[in-house]
Parts: sequence; C-alpha cells; structure tokens
Amino acid sequence: MRIDTIRADGGKPAHIRHDDLISVKGVSVVYARQLVLQNIDLSVPKGSFVSLIGPSGCGKSTLLKVLAGLVEPTSGSVSIGGLSPVEAARKRMIGVVFQDANLLPWKNAVDNASMLLSIADKSLSRAELRARGQEMLELVGLGDAAHKRPNELSGGMRQRVAIARALALDPAVLLMDEPFGALDAITRDSMGQSLLEIWQRTGKTIVLVTHSIDEAIHLSRHVHALGIKPGRITGSIDIGLPYPRDLAVTEDPEFVRLVVQLRTMLRASHQPGDAS
Amino acid sequence: MSDQPITSEPRLASSFAAATSSWLPAVILLLGTIVAWEAIVRIFAISSFIIPAPSEIGRSLVAQWGTLMQATLVTAAEILLGFVVSVVVGVAIALVIVRFDWLGRALYPLVVLFQNVPKVALAPIFILWFGYGLAPKIGLILVIAFFPVTLSMLAGMQSVDRSLLSLMNSVGASRTQILFRIRVPHSLPNLMAGTKIAATLSVIGAIVGEFAGASDGLGYVIQFASTQLDTALVFAALLLVSVLGIAFYYAAEILERIVVPWAPKFSHA
Repeated sequence: MRIDTIRADGGKPAHIRHDDLISVKGVSVVYARQLVLQNIDLSVPKGSFVSLIGPSGCGKSTLLKVLAGLVEPTSGSVSIGGLSPVEAARKRMIGVVFQDANLLPWKNAVDNASMLLSIADKSLSRAELRARGQEMLELVGLGDAAHKRPNELSGGMRQRVAIARALALDPAVLLMDEPFGALDAITRDSMGQSLLEIWQRTGKTIVLVTHSIDEAIHLSRHVHALGIKPGRITGSIDIGLPYPRDLAVTEDPEFVRLVVQLRTMLRASHQPGDAS
Repeated sequence: MSDQPITSEPRLASSFAAATSSWLPAVILLLGTIVAWEAIVRIFAISSFIIPAPSEIGRSLVAQWGTLMQATLVTAAEILLGFVVSVVVGVAIALVIVRFDWLGRALYPLVVLFQNVPKVALAPIFILWFGYGLAPKIGLILVIAFFPVTLSMLAGMQSVDRSLLSLMNSVGASRTQILFRIRVPHSLPNLMAGTKIAATLSVIGAIVGEFAGASDGLGYVIQFASTQLDTALVFAALLLVSVLGIAFYYAAEILERIVVPWAPKFSHA
C-alpha cells in the first residue's frame, strides 16, 4: 500500500507533531468478517480542523465512530488527550454530530441543546441547564428560537441545535459525521460558514467526515483521503489557505488547484487494481 | 433562515369548515337510511319482533329510559375500569419487556401466544371464578384489550434511532435513563394509537362479559329483551352501546391530543 503525502505548506508530517490531541496508530476494524479499516494512522493537532473524505463504503464514518468510542477497533490504539475514546467521552471531551439531528420532538430547542449535558452532569440545576442551552443556541445563531419545537424548525436549524447540543458539553473535540449531508446546497454553504465561525470562536478541535470535496477544502486545515476495500488513508493534503475564510475562497486559484489535487488523489484510490 | 410563525386561529376556522363539509355526506346518508328503513318496514308490514321501525325503537327508548340509563351507567363503569386496568397492565408489561432482557425474552413469546387464545371463550370461566359482578367483566376486558397497548408501546420504544442511542451512550447514560428519557416519551404516539384500539375492544369485552353472565348492564338488557321478543328494546340498547363506543373512542382521541401535542397528526379532514 502506498501512502501519498503531499503538503502545501511543507510542514512536518502530521504524525510526529507533539501537540496532537488525537492520535490513531495502526487501527484496523473487522466487522462481519470484512476488513472495514486497515492500518489507519492519523494525527489531529489540538485546535485543528481536519476532514476525512472518501467514497461510500471507505469506512470514514466507522473511523469517526472509533474516535467517538462507539466502535472498538480490532487492533491498534487510539488516544484522545492521552485517554481512550470511551474514557474521553465520559469526561465530556467528545461532542458528536450525526447527519440526522435526532432532536427529541417533545422538547423545545433550548431543552434539546442541554439534553446530553443534563445526563453527563447530574449536578446542574434546571436553570443552569437552560442557561447553558440558551448560550449554545446563541453561539449557533438560534438565540431567538429557544422555545420552538423541532417540528417548527427547518432542517438547517435542527442541525444547528444538534451542534449546540454537542457544544453544550464543552468538549475538546467535535466529531461530525456528514452533518450537512441532508441539507440543500445553499443551506449547506451557510452552515459551513457558521461552523468556521464557531470553530474560530471556541477553539475546538474538529474532525469532519464529508463526501464533498469543496466542503473539505473550504473548511479544513488538513484533509485525509480514504480509499475503499479495505478502507485506508490513501493520501493527505494540508490546506494552506489563510483563515478566516469565506465563500469567496472557493474562487481562489489555490482553492481550485487543491480541488484538482484532491480529486486526482481520490480517483487514484478508486482505480481497479489499486484495491487488493 | 425563513421560518413562518405558526398561528392557530385561521387553521381552526378552516378546519371547522372542512369538518362540516366532510361530515355532511355521512349525515345525509344516515338520515336517508333511517327514512328508507321506516318506509320499508311500514310498506311491507314487517313484524316488529323481526325488524322494528326506527320510530318504534325511539318509543321503546323513551318508555324504558330509566332502565336503559341505569344499564348504561353500569356498562360504562365496566368499560372505563376495564380500559384503565388494560392500559396500566399493558404499559407495565411493555416496560418490563424492554427494561429486563431476560424477563422480556421469557414474557414476549408468551404474550404473543396468549394473543391467539380466543379470549371471548374465557368469559364463562371468568364467571365461574369471579361470580356475576364487576370483576369478571374487568378480567375479560383486560385479556382482550391489553395486547394492542403492549404491542404499540413496544414498537414505539424499539424504534428509537440508533445514533440517538449512540449519543446517549457516549455521555454514559444508564439503561433506565435511556428508557425513561428517550424510549418512553418516544413511544407515546404509538401508545396512544394502541390506546384507541383498546378503548374499542373494552366496549366489546364489557358486552361479551355481560352476555356470559350478568344481572345488569346493556348486554344483559339485550339478552333479556331478545328472550322476550322485544326487538325494539334490543335495538334501543344497541344504539346506546354504540354511543358508548363512540364516546370512549373520542375520549381516547382527546387524551392523545393532550398527551402528545408534538406528534404529527393524521387528520381525516
């Protein structure tokens, strides 16, 4: 297997950084006698924005679940700030956002935003939970929708509540599995932009799973491409475009060059014969 | 992001208009049937102990009003008590099945197996065990009506999205927390649908219970009147049983609107 590492900023290879918050070494996952992930090495620097991109079935969502402690790797090790993912999750270091917002339809936005926190920290009073939920809704731009139930919110707004719910835990890492995958293109763009703002204001480390090349390059600092059968990292790109980025960055020649480079990388990992 | 405020006033007015226009054909058909019935009985001079005319049923209803109302109260009490017991027991069984794996695996197949017993046939045994009073009717309603409650609540509790459960697990939620904070509220729309079925079955249970052995109630009146060939009284009692059935069904529907105002509504209007 060939690992093709191309760096735009000529920095050190990611896996020898010392300020890594997440470090994955030699992780393989076998599920139903199928090798879903093979020998994954991945480092995510603290405060970074990293995207995992690849075709359907490449195991990118499984990798995210491994990081969240929801899937136990068959071999290899995962460390999140020196802890196992399950320990890290118990210490509220991990916030997860899935493609489906999965809000509770009988609770309003503010109670949905504080729902996970209420379970993670039983010492908080109802008023404290509400205050925290409200604060998070304001962070995601939904401050005046606190008393609306999910069926009164649009798809984009529901996903914002899901992000607020994850952020309410004040996690070090935000793990997002195609969070904007079910949204229309225009909402998707504005959600991406909001996510960048939230990232810069909170300083969270974000790992985003996506199948959108534009989204990966627009948002992240590092992009890792995954190939299929078995799922493995086939290449990585550092995105040197300066922050803060807005949608105008998508017209930058450097952005266009990176899109071509990432597309070529993904296509190479898709070619017949590459999968052994 | 656009988001229209949801106002209730115009919707209420239009739903009233829609309800009237959707009910109107049914009301016309019902009145037409009654008129035709009356006409046919009179023209062909059909004996009243075979088919009584609507006017005769009306006369019987007025003449026997006191007896019928007393019987209605007895049957209504049986239905209400039996229904409440069925819902409580049905919910309890569903909770036990979901909360305790081992008990659930033991209980669930037996519950399904029991569902295939023709429960109406249990009525004489219940009379034998519990006598002629309220108890055998409650027992019969329970065995007939608890199943849709249990089954609908189970379906609701088990259809919680896996990724929501993943989120709960990731913050260390206990099984009991997941049960009462997620599964139970999530199951309420299903449970309410099961409750409406149970309300209808409770009426059947009460009447069957009274047929098998009673000294009071609308089922008793129907049986007694038919042995006297007082068919008009049989129909009068039947009418009251139907009114009871409709009343309990709509009571369950109102309960649904109170308990799960957030659930998607499937309106006929």
